[in-house]
Amino acid sequence: MAVSRRRMLAWITGTGLVGSGVLSAISNFVFIKPRATYGQPQRFSIGKPDDYPAGTRIALDARRICVVREGNRIAAVSTTCTHLGCIVGLADTGFACPCHGSRFDSDGTVTGGPAPRPLPWYKITLAPNGEIEVDKDTEITPGSYLTL
Amino acid sequence: MRFALAVGTFLILVIHGVILYNQFSHKWEVHQIAYFNQAKAMAKGDAERASLEARSPRIEQTVVADFGETRVDRCITCHIAADDPRFATYQQPLKTHPYSTAMGDVQKNGKWERRHKFSEFGCTVCHDGQGRGLSPRDAHGEDEYWPDPLLGAATQENWRKDFVPMLRGKEYLEANCAQCHTGASFSGTPTVRRGMELFYASNCYGCHRIEGLSDGTIGPDLTEVGRKFKIDYIYARIKDPKSILATSIMPRFNMLSDPDIKALVVFLKSRKGKNFSETEMDRYRLRATGGAELVQAHIKPVAINPAQMAKQGEQLVLDRACTACHKLGAKDGAIAPDLSFEGLLKTPAWLEAHFRNPRSTMADSIMPAFRFTEDEFKAMTAYLSGLKAAPALPSPEATYKALCLRCHGDKGNGLGPIAEHLDPSPRDFTKAAFMNSKPMDRLVASVRKGVEGTSMPAWEKLLDENQAKAVLGYIQTAFVKEPRQEPKARAVPAVNPVASSPESIARGEATFLNRCTGCHGRKGDGKGPNALDILPKPRNLRNNLFMAGVGDPRLFESILYGVQGTAMPSWIDYGLSNNDVGDLVNFLRNFNPKPKGGQNAGTI
Repeated sequence: MAVSRRRMLAWITGTGLVGSGVLSAISNFVFIKPRATYGQPQRFSIGKPDDYPAGTRIALDARRICVVREGNRIAAVSTTCTHLGCIVGLADTGFACPCHGSRFDSDGTVTGGPAPRPLPWYKITLAPNGEIEVDKDTEITPGSYLTL
Repeated sequence: MRFALAVGTFLILVIHGVILYNQFSHKWEVHQIAYFNQAKAMAKGDAERASLEARSPRIEQTVVADFGETRVDRCITCHIAADDPRFATYQQPLKTHPYSTAMGDVQKNGKWERRHKFSEFGCTVCHDGQGRGLSPRDAHGEDEYWPDPLLGAATQENWRKDFVPMLRGKEYLEANCAQCHTGASFSGTPTVRRGMELFYASNCYGCHRIEGLSDGTIGPDLTEVGRKFKIDYIYARIKDPKSILATSIMPRFNMLSDPDIKALVVFLKSRKGKNFSETEMDRYRLRATGGAELVQAHIKPVAINPAQMAKQGEQLVLDRACTACHKLGAKDGAIAPDLSFEGLLKTPAWLEAHFRNPRSTMADSIMPAFRFTEDEFKAMTAYLSGLKAAPALPSPEATYKALCLRCHGDKGNGLGPIAEHLDPSPRDFTKAAFMNSKPMDRLVASVRKGVEGTSMPAWEKLLDENQAKAVLGYIQTAFVKEPRQEPKARAVPAVNPVASSPESIARGEATFLNRCTGCHGRKGDGKGPNALDILPKPRNLRNNLFMAGVGDPRLFESILYGVQGTAMPSWIDYGLSNNDVGDLVNFLRNFNPKPKGGQNAGTI
């Protein structure tokens, strides 16, 4: 079947326009998210497990996490208050916000104050060089520890 | 029209597709996928495999805030296995960064632990290169506009070709170690230490300032040289200063071998102004003392044995780079005067005074005052004052070539090879008006007695009166090119007719401010606003050795009748009387204190 020149050109033009439209839509999703930002990385290493002896709860304020180790289980709990983003401090009963009075138990569950949600737990892995790596991009169910 | 539309839309589609495709096929993504696959194969448990499974290629970065400006370090995006010990035998970029005790790494239970953690130090703090770059060319700093290419590995597109073979080796990395580890006892930076020793041994400190290490003022300040300049540039500036800057007055240090220059380059590259390990308190202490104790710690004095003084002096003169500027026998730095027969020209007292403070014997000398010990000064003086072998002077022409040419030039125009470094400039013999306006006695006196406060030495030990006249005869025929005419004696008072008094000095000052400052400057230092356009330059009237060396009659003659062949006019024509000039002379003598030394100190 013979295709006329006019029809052929219409096809090419149509493909070009529709294709560009589709690609634009995809590009919007690809390019709208920056590849890298200039903040501190969200996945970082916090040293060897030996640095955290059993039973310790150490708040790393610069990283805004609290490293909890019980026996040979280890976890990282956020210390950023879910109310207005203050850094919560360690308290006898868990965590306490010094500004607005929110209180959390040692698992991060809200026990008082204006905080609307419990403190998130972050994913924690053991890197090949033997150091603990915390990934603040990934939240996990509270109470799930990494067994060393 | 339809055809154009079809081609146009299709082209847009293709370009769009290519751009989008490029977003998914970065080199670093290829490296990361390769890493994930190989790490999965090595994984010990399901959990580890699952966590690798969950990871997708992304730009990995460390933000390093403790070393100067905040650095964004993305090197691990490609070198993702840098901290994974299982990849020690792999090829770059998927290779473990080597562990070594030299870098402070320690082994615990058979596992290495790093002293310099990547999360703390990043990569560019030690290696340089461009932390944000994501292609090898950008990241390694091969781009010619990037200031700090990867040390020891990358060269840039416009790099000096003669330097490229010198870049091999990790010694350059030491420059960055030394940004924190400054201690002389630190064993990790032998090249930096060698460079620092050379910096003192070659007398670089005499001209250059480095905060806390030296305070020379002749050359540029090198406190931040490592931040400002690239390695190849620093190398070329030392190897052959004039190849980079034609007007550079820095000498070529021929006694430095290529490894020596390399050590100096590495040392200078480590000078980035601020040491990362210093506290504010350290810096304050350093500023308060001017770094005096550091200088003392670095300059190693030579133990001088009285019996071998001259011999050790010779060694010092050669080791401490005197010949980088001065001529001595076959060695010639082509910047400063000939020392080959210094013992005939200068007294030991003059030599020692000149060593200690060059400007005490020559007002505008550019020679730095070096920090040698008392014994070293004495040894070098003993050596130089022993140089009494006169050169062969068979004819007036040979005499001129041996003694005069270095300053006055082969054309006699005062532009000899070293003339640009002398202040005042050597006399231009082609100015016949000057030569024929001075009586023979005066010219002979200048040759035989020298000119105080200038570089013109007293040649009387080498030339008797007849030889001096013969040289002047040669100059007359070869350069002046006019028959000698003995000038008529001018009427000048033998002594200043005006007694020096505060009133006379005040009148002299008023005349000076009205008539003389245009050329001689308000301070009388020869740097008036017109001085830039005048050659020879106006006389520095604060050169007190010169001022003490010339008598009143000569000052009167120069002021009243001018100096022919220069810009100095005859002030009689402008109405100055003998008394006005007397006031001026009193004023000039008043601000020149009596000098302490000088080459004819004994005869004044």
